[in-house]
Amino acid sequence: MKYTIRHVTTVKYASPVSLARFNVRLKPAPWPGQVLHHYALTIDPQPWTIQEEYGPWIVNRSRLFVRDPLTQLTIESKMHIEVQMPAVTDVTAPSPSVADIRKQALIHRDLSAMGPASYLFASPMALKSRTIAEWARPMLDPERSILSAGNALMHAIFTQFKYDSDATDADTPPAKSFAKKRGVCQDFAHVMIVAARAHGLPAAYVSGYLRTLPPPGKPRLIGADATHAWVVLWCGDALGWIGFDPTNDCLAKTDHIYTAMGRDYADVAPIDGVFRGGGGQTMAVSVDVAPEEEAALSAS
Amino acid sequence: MASDAVLTAPAGPRLQDYPVDVAAGDLYHNASPDLAAHWQTMADGLVTMASEAGMAVHELVSRQIADLGMSFRIAGDADERDWPLTAMPLLIGADEWAEVERGLIQRARLLEAVAADLYGPQRLVAEGHVPASLVTGSRYFARNMVGLAPRGGHYIHVYAVDLARGPRGQWRVLSDRLRLANGIGYALENRLALSRGTGSLLSDIHTRRLAYFFTELRGGIARDCQRENPRIALLTPGRFNQSYPEQAHLARYLGFPLVEGRDLSVSDERLYVRTIAGPKRIDAIWRWIDTNALDPLNFDARSAIGVPDLFDAWARGGLEMANRPGVELLEAPAFSAFLPRLCSVLLGETPLLPNVATWWCGQPREADTVRKRFEELVITPAFGQRVEALEGIGPVPAASLGPEQRAALAEAMARRPMDYCGQEIVHLPTTPALIDECFVPRAFTLRAFVARDTAGNWTVMPGGFARLSASDEIQTTLMGAGDWTADVCIVDSAHRAPPGPLPLSELPSVRRGGGFLASQAADNLFWFGRYVERTEATVRVIRAILGSAIEVDAAAGSNPEVRAVLLDLLVRWSAITKETAALPAPQACRAALAEVTLPGGVGSLLAALRATGLTLRDRFAPDFWRIASRPLPPLDSHRPGALLRGARELLERMSALAGLLNENFVRGPSWRFLDLGRRIERGLALCATTGALVREADNAWSDNGEALSLLLDLCDSQITYRSRYLTSAQRNLVLDLLLLDPDNPRSLAFQLEALVAHIDALPRLSEDLLPELPLREARALLAPLTSLTVEKFAPEHLAAAENGLLSLSSAISERYFLQYEKADAPGSESLLG
Repeated sequence: MKYTIRHVTTVKYASPVSLARFNVRLKPAPWPGQVLHHYALTIDPQPWTIQEEYGPWIVNRSRLFVRDPLTQLTIESKMHIEVQMPAVTDVTAPSPSVADIRKQALIHRDLSAMGPASYLFASPMALKSRTIAEWARPMLDPERSILSAGNALMHAIFTQFKYDSDATDADTPPAKSFAKKRGVCQDFAHVMIVAARAHGLPAAYVSGYLRTLPPPGKPRLIGADATHAWVVLWCGDALGWIGFDPTNDCLAKTDHIYTAMGRDYADVAPIDGVFRGGGGQTMAVSVDVAPEEEAALSAS
Repeated sequence: MASDAVLTAPAGPRLQDYPVDVAAGDLYHNASPDLAAHWQTMADGLVTMASEAGMAVHELVSRQIADLGMSFRIAGDADERDWPLTAMPLLIGADEWAEVERGLIQRARLLEAVAADLYGPQRLVAEGHVPASLVTGSRYFARNMVGLAPRGGHYIHVYAVDLARGPRGQWRVLSDRLRLANGIGYALENRLALSRGTGSLLSDIHTRRLAYFFTELRGGIARDCQRENPRIALLTPGRFNQSYPEQAHLARYLGFPLVEGRDLSVSDERLYVRTIAGPKRIDAIWRWIDTNALDPLNFDARSAIGVPDLFDAWARGGLEMANRPGVELLEAPAFSAFLPRLCSVLLGETPLLPNVATWWCGQPREADTVRKRFEELVITPAFGQRVEALEGIGPVPAASLGPEQRAALAEAMARRPMDYCGQEIVHLPTTPALIDECFVPRAFTLRAFVARDTAGNWTVMPGGFARLSASDEIQTTLMGAGDWTADVCIVDSAHRAPPGPLPLSELPSVRRGGGFLASQAADNLFWFGRYVERTEATVRVIRAILGSAIEVDAAAGSNPEVRAVLLDLLVRWSAITKETAALPAPQACRAALAEVTLPGGVGSLLAALRATGLTLRDRFAPDFWRIASRPLPPLDSHRPGALLRGARELLERMSALAGLLNENFVRGPSWRFLDLGRRIERGLALCATTGALVREADNAWSDNGEALSLLLDLCDSQITYRSRYLTSAQRNLVLDLLLLDPDNPRSLAFQLEALVAHIDALPRLSEDLLPELPLREARALLAPLTSLTVEKFAPEHLAAAENGLLSLSSAISERYFLQYEKADAPGSESLLG
């Protein structure tokens, strides 16, 4: 599947900010089965410096330094990207047991950001929660296959939680959104991550996009008009990381475009930074994820 | 009891009476005969010295503690406590210590080698010597530090380690500390207090000195810097940090500027401190901040105490960090389970100093062992962070858990075994502690310190920080409630020449001035000066009101109208509310003194004085600090007499502060900012009181003799006036003395001349030497005062002076102080799916 993606973020400040430094994490990092054909990041006003970096997680970071005072910042991220159908598209496919995964993750020798060891422990935003651990226990029987266990967790969140963008914000801890049983994709992903890690399973946070308009006859996916977030579970060396989307109760296939992977939201936040001055700020985001055939059609 | 004492021996605690309890060993009872003799000398010496001075033994050190201004805070406490140092030090023989030193140096070499591998080739993980999860389990593993070798060549500069001694002198490592070497400054302070309080006693028993260690520590950091004569700063989390008093003391002792994140900025991969003379480059940082809080853009975005892009400065700009960010991961208890084996893998040596036997449950076999030997072990969080089913982050004896706790722990350990370690139980030995004039056994642990020296080699502090507790449970904090601390003396059998004076070339050259002045510190100094003066002005007004209520014939406004003017002034200064001002005068005065919510209340001003003073602790002499931090005098009465005494005491305190300021502060920029604050505030108070008392509604001067006399009182110029003029208070005479006479230190002209002189002496940013805005403003303010006669000086001039002073204060803030970056959270993409 080939997509044209345009993502525009506009931040407005009530009073001018100066010496602003931003981290922008919008360019898709390399991901198995995904090919980035073209990418362009446009910043207005033009920053004093832009540094492109990769890491320390599976993430591209553009570091912006805007020296002169600004009251509005517009970030436009455009790309052509190709997504191939992953090897695993069905949770009934054969996979190691929960007990196996727990054992392998602990003794693994891969210390890299793709290795399971980095996603085994609590992280700054995905803090431990005994309540979530208890809640997840019945779904994570040691003998169960990891795909089936992941599916159970995902399905439980999808059915027990209500999508509500007013219930939480970007800093809401998972235990809180869990107590409310409400939230957005970020909260659902965090809850699933905390649940998996509580039982010794490596789980990571993924940020990315969903195709905006569903194929004919299919329902529109939730979260398609903004950046999206879901979870990847480590399913052993053979299968690697498999994407579970608890907001839509489905595996990540060709409708999901990966931007970055980290321990939680904070590692891959689309934009953060520091500056002088400011006062209030407002942010507007528009995302358009169009399959390229469709883009070609609408252009003709 | 005294009748039983041997007549020739001084009355007091005797080491001979020390009870014997040697189950886990006792430092004194296990001492060799030679060393025991030193213990005797020390103990007898303390008693003799105290009895000759006619004081209790404890007073020998408690006086020094007060003089040094030593204090500490327990986590969760708002207030600092007195430092609980017992007079009797721990004595350790040089032979025994030599073994400990060798062991510690080996361990430091090992930790350095492990850090270099994990942040370099990661051979240990690839070859299976340590599982990846042991590394990632620590929140201090800094993934973005991998592959960035330190330019100075070293990951670790300062290393602290907690030790326990076995009955036969075999020492064991309880825990490693690479994040913060807290205790290192207290060890130094303990020694200073003890040696100052006990004359030559310490050298009589051949105690090794600590000073060389600190010289070496400084040299060790300096040698890894990129420039000659590097500027090394101590980076503190700020005055609310528990160990802030220790950090401030260390900074002063080592001559390192004490800086906070907001003092610093990074530009082109170099680190600068903002000073009143513009940015100055920093070459090295001794950090007292966690890795994760160092840089909000490269580590935890929520950090408010870090420096944006500090990462770039050490990763690429050559900034030396002691210690290198990320090395803290090695202090996890889980890691100590692997160190003995890594010692042979990396160094090809067997460990000289064992650590407490530790099993990390992240490995199936070890987890099994812990399950089987559960009853005889302590369970501890594997990575120094809270885990499920255990309270706190310290070791918990498994046997002490109730059935429910056990079940919860077993369940949590089954789910996440990697979060737990089992460790053998250590019984702590005792040492004689001198508590309440009696030698009593106290369990002790010793925190030892290792640092790189001027040659880059490891050196061990000959001494350390001893923590004495009533129980022998191992604690994770430096000090807890009810604990004591003692100096640790490494004792040679004979007098040993000190390592010698420093080589001539390394002696500092003669210098004057106080180095640079950070903008933040200048800001605090300025406000400290303002608070001192504002407190004084407010209390003077209160005193005048109270005085009028007592002395019937006082010059001090017995006239109710004048009194109302003064109360109104207190309302304008936000010391009381309008409603309070309507109360009987003594009640209103008491309210103004006790007020802690309104910003102008005396209680609030003293609190602000104290809070600002805390940030300046490394610059103030203890005397100064003691006066500044004294609480309000008791105000338990509404009787004007008692209140008046309270007000007088406060005024005396402010005078004492002013006196110390004038007599003891070196005449550098620091003093100038303190004095700038005082002069501005005094000028403002002069304008306000003069305006209130002698300006009429139609904007002319009044001729009210009573008001004029009161004004002289408030400005402390009554005596001057009387000695100069034999007449009662006359308007022009008073106004000339208080506004225009440049020789009266209480006059407006005097304040402005001082302001001009101070600002003129401060550094300028540009090289063209044109006067900057604050100087131009100050000169403009002074001009009318020097050019007008009192007849021509109209109330408008006074109003202009008052506005001008406020504007000057802003100009000074803008030019010299900070407007620092504020972290924001634009990450809250509200439209997130």
